[in-house]
Amino acid sequence: MTELLTAIAIIFIVAAPFLLLANRFNVTVAPLLIIAGIIAGLFIDAGTALELAQFGIALLVFMFGVSINFDTIHSILADSEFAAIGQIVVVGILGVILGVILGVSYLEATILGVAAALSSTMVGTALLQTEIRMNLIRGRLGESIQFVQDLFAVGFILILGAEVLELDPIVLQIGYGAVFIIAAVFVHRYVFGFISRLAAGSDELMIIGVITLLAVFIGAAAFVEVPIVVGAFAAGLAVHYDPGAFPGLYNGLGSIKDFFVALFFATVGALVVVPFVQLEFGESLEKLALVLVLVFLAIIVKPLVTTLLLVHRGFEARTATLTGLSTDQISEFSIIIAIEAFLLGLLADSVFDAIILAAAITMITSTLTQRYNEELYRFIASIGLLSGSHEKIDQNSKVPDELTNHVIIVGFGRLGSSLIATCEALDHPYVVIENDPALSEDLEDTCQAYVFGDAMEDYTWEKANGNAAELIVSVTSSEVLSRALLARGFEPDLILRASDKQLAIEYLDNGATYVTVPDLLAAEQLITYLSALLEGELTARELRELGNVELESD
Amino acid sequence: MVTEVSLSVDLAIILLAATVAGFLAKQSGQPTVIAYILAGVVVGPVVFGFVEATDLTETIAELGLAFLLFLLGIKMRIDEVSHILAPIVKVSLPQMAAVAGVGIGVSLLLGFDLSESIIIGLAVMYSSTAVVIKMLTDLGQTTTLHGKIDVGILLAQDIVVVIILAVLAAGRPDDIAEVATTLVVVLILVALVSALALGASRYALPAIFRRIADNQQVFFLIAIAWAFLFVFISDEINLFLAPVGIEAYLSIEMGAFLAGVAIAQLPYSKELQDRVNPLTDLFVMIFFATVALRLDASDLLYYWQEAIIAAIVLMIAKFVIFYTLLNWQRFDGETTFLGSIYMVQVSEFGVVVGVAAVAGDFIAVEILGFLTLLALITMGISVYFFAYSDQLYDRFEPHISRLEADKTFTEDRRTLNDHAVVIGYDDLTRNLLSLLDDHFEQLVVVDRRTDHVELLSDEGYDVVFGDIGSSSIRKDVELKKAAFVLSSSDSPEISRILLRETKEDAVVVLEARSDATASMFYELGADFVIQSVPLASKRLSKYLEDHLTTPDRFLESIGRDTGILLESDPFPHIHDLIEGKLDD
Repeated sequence: MTELLTAIAIIFIVAAPFLLLANRFNVTVAPLLIIAGIIAGLFIDAGTALELAQFGIALLVFMFGVSINFDTIHSILADSEFAAIGQIVVVGILGVILGVILGVSYLEATILGVAAALSSTMVGTALLQTEIRMNLIRGRLGESIQFVQDLFAVGFILILGAEVLELDPIVLQIGYGAVFIIAAVFVHRYVFGFISRLAAGSDELMIIGVITLLAVFIGAAAFVEVPIVVGAFAAGLAVHYDPGAFPGLYNGLGSIKDFFVALFFATVGALVVVPFVQLEFGESLEKLALVLVLVFLAIIVKPLVTTLLLVHRGFEARTATLTGLSTDQISEFSIIIAIEAFLLGLLADSVFDAIILAAAITMITSTLTQRYNEELYRFIASIGLLSGSHEKIDQNSKVPDELTNHVIIVGFGRLGSSLIATCEALDHPYVVIENDPALSEDLEDTCQAYVFGDAMEDYTWEKANGNAAELIVSVTSSEVLSRALLARGFEPDLILRASDKQLAIEYLDNGATYVTVPDLLAAEQLITYLSALLEGELTARELRELGNVELESD
Repeated sequence: MVTEVSLSVDLAIILLAATVAGFLAKQSGQPTVIAYILAGVVVGPVVFGFVEATDLTETIAELGLAFLLFLLGIKMRIDEVSHILAPIVKVSLPQMAAVAGVGIGVSLLLGFDLSESIIIGLAVMYSSTAVVIKMLTDLGQTTTLHGKIDVGILLAQDIVVVIILAVLAAGRPDDIAEVATTLVVVLILVALVSALALGASRYALPAIFRRIADNQQVFFLIAIAWAFLFVFISDEINLFLAPVGIEAYLSIEMGAFLAGVAIAQLPYSKELQDRVNPLTDLFVMIFFATVALRLDASDLLYYWQEAIIAAIVLMIAKFVIFYTLLNWQRFDGETTFLGSIYMVQVSEFGVVVGVAAVAGDFIAVEILGFLTLLALITMGISVYFFAYSDQLYDRFEPHISRLEADKTFTEDRRTLNDHAVVIGYDDLTRNLLSLLDDHFEQLVVVDRRTDHVELLSDEGYDVVFGDIGSSSIRKDVELKKAAFVLSSSDSPEISRILLRETKEDAVVVLEARSDATASMFYELGADFVIQSVPLASKRLSKYLEDHLTTPDRFLESIGRDTGILLESDPFPHIHDLIEGKLDD
């Protein structure tokens, strides 16, 4: 067995208990892999594994390129490019200043600042999965802030390839970057389709073809001395595709990526020189000071800046705070930047180690803050850090005076709209509660009365005159919100929506008048149709027709 | 990035050459394995010399072999192979002796001296694990009877390789007793590692994997760590043996295989296959492409005429020997024929034995070249026997059936046909299970959550753990033969796969999140598309109207709905309860 293979084996064996911990405490695996790597690093020479770990970097960036969807990029960016860029600027500059105060060079301080400013897509979007799937504003905002940051990171690494802060080499790097993007567009137009035709449905060839394309882009990047990250990103753009079109390819790349990315994080950990264990006291303290600065910037300053910027942009306090909290960690891209700079000899051991350690620490703490984000928000709101947003609600809402015996509809989606139609048909007063800025125009156009605010907030209910209502119907499937509504103990009847039976029973026990479970309704309908079909009372064709009729009647 | 330029470029060239060759092979209908080997010949020192073997390529090649065996292990359920263990032992030992005999004989006739001929004989008696398993996997035949027999024989050969390597590593053996000691030590070690794997599989792994199976990433990485643990133990076995004063060697392939077997006994192994497969494909490709990287053209081609003659003789001899032995064990004609014709090549282990023999000063490097060329030629030809096995079998079928034993060895297999497949266990599908169970003889449920799988199998349902997005799960539930498919997956990609892969007259019921998706599914052939939100929307509007106009009716309706909701049995026969009472 080669020495390299032994090193890989040891890395994975040491990582196993940490992976179990990650699973047990529901934490992203990246920080625990880094810690496992730090331990494995005491036994192996990580340098040998670095070569394979580079594929981890490449695949990480490659998959980012692949996932960019040019059709929706515009709407994603429109949400928050201001907040994202503003945040990078503020946190970045603070990072540079603090770095210089602690005595690192300007270039290192710049890298330190950028590393602190970037938040992890891997941690953030993993934690925001539910919010993104439910299409909550918070999920969308978080996703788009991270997208802007990742893009920025790739650009920063490109410039880093110049190795010096001088105009000519930087322009040259940017020129190469442009060439790679052009090559990517060319490959996407002419080569990728060709490859997929030639693969003739073989997943194996498709995967190998795409990996080879990646290797060629990386090879080309290495050849012209541009960071491989740039090559990998361009390769990702070159093959970005609809995951539905090649499910086998998507799954295959996923598992290849998981393997190499795990190896990457562990190897990065193994490169860290552990304070106090492998380092004398004085140096250890210096390193810890840098770690503390980074952690402070990531978990305090960054969320704060993001929140304030979002509030300034007109998002209400809760959404802004929760989005801000979701940025409170250091990105895997920061780790990539650190290692690229380290390999180029631009970064001293102590700064490199500080970035890696701070990333591992904040990725773990971020999981915790996400878990308790509502509580944190309550706390921040209670000490009066975020006030004065009532004005905004007043400004953006339309509620007639003396509203009583009305129906309050929480959520303006498909379900909400049909309830509005019912109220209008019966000429019964109603008010809609919604807080998605993307829906505000629709809201204005179609609703007689609405409160543009967060249903979690007291003022929103005051505004909607909650206790004088006849009925409150919440059509969102957010568990947090449903529980909060129940906790308010409204006098009017309260109708909720639940995604499953267990929840529905819980809501009923806690005082809901009625809970709708769409899946159960569907099951009920399906049982009727399918028993008819299976008993022969209905043919498959008739079933199809029934379905189509239903679809058109919606 | 200057530091790692040269390293990555070597690998990129190998990847590119092998990929181009693979695509060409696919286009011209040739097996990809031969294309990968030839790509290595072309870019390696034999022809152009663009690249040579490096630590990185060697490591990936080793990973390839380890992953291939791990993947194979994951597919081996002990209850499905235990009945063929005895015939495998009875076939493999005489087979190796006979092939080694033929190998020694032909080498002597070709003019090699006795000790060289013995090494050659010992090197050629194995068939290629890499080629056979890769081709069986590509053809989807690993779990056929002939597939399992071949795999069993390959593993028996692997144990023998390990013993021979151990002997060669120790230098020229002084006497037969030393060889016997090595044999006993290796067999004991294999038994110990097997016991460790199987013990863990029974007592430790179920608890661990049940906890992590819901987390795809952790599940995959832990499984790989498990494989590396066994690879490491096998490779570093001397670390554990040194205190007792014994020296021995185990192959990492054996370790990887046993790690896989331990996981195969758990209900979560299916999905893992699909996750491990792509990595294996990638690494194995590099394995094949690097086979020819280690030697110069002059060494490789020094004995080229001898190699061609030996290749022909050995392939025929191997086929005849396997055929006779398998037929003797009363396997049916097809199993015997395919089981034999797949095993005619010389293994990469032959090359490994050759390398050890050169290191131990038993043979000259030209003879290693001869063994490598022999392996390349026989591997290259044998992949065509896989590719055209059906045609070959049809051609020889009349002769084969004459030779077939009267009473052949048979095995039972579960077959699914015209069955119902339910994907996802949730509020929607749960309530339909009993209805479907009443109407279909066979019903399979696929779900990705361990607690659901346990609940369902306790209830007596046939349930498969895994993600329907993975092709081996779809194969496992025989999606193509299903008469009815109900999926509550809200991923349009999955639904499209289901529509594409089910047969024409199958009833396919899907779920959609929007009207647009629903009408797309109808266009693609769905029989019914469930949309729960519009249903809820109609129902809520109705209740809202009642609440505002006729409160009594509202109370009555919600009373009925809540009654259904509170039904506590997880498998309620609610279709009896509510049939015909729907208001729309």
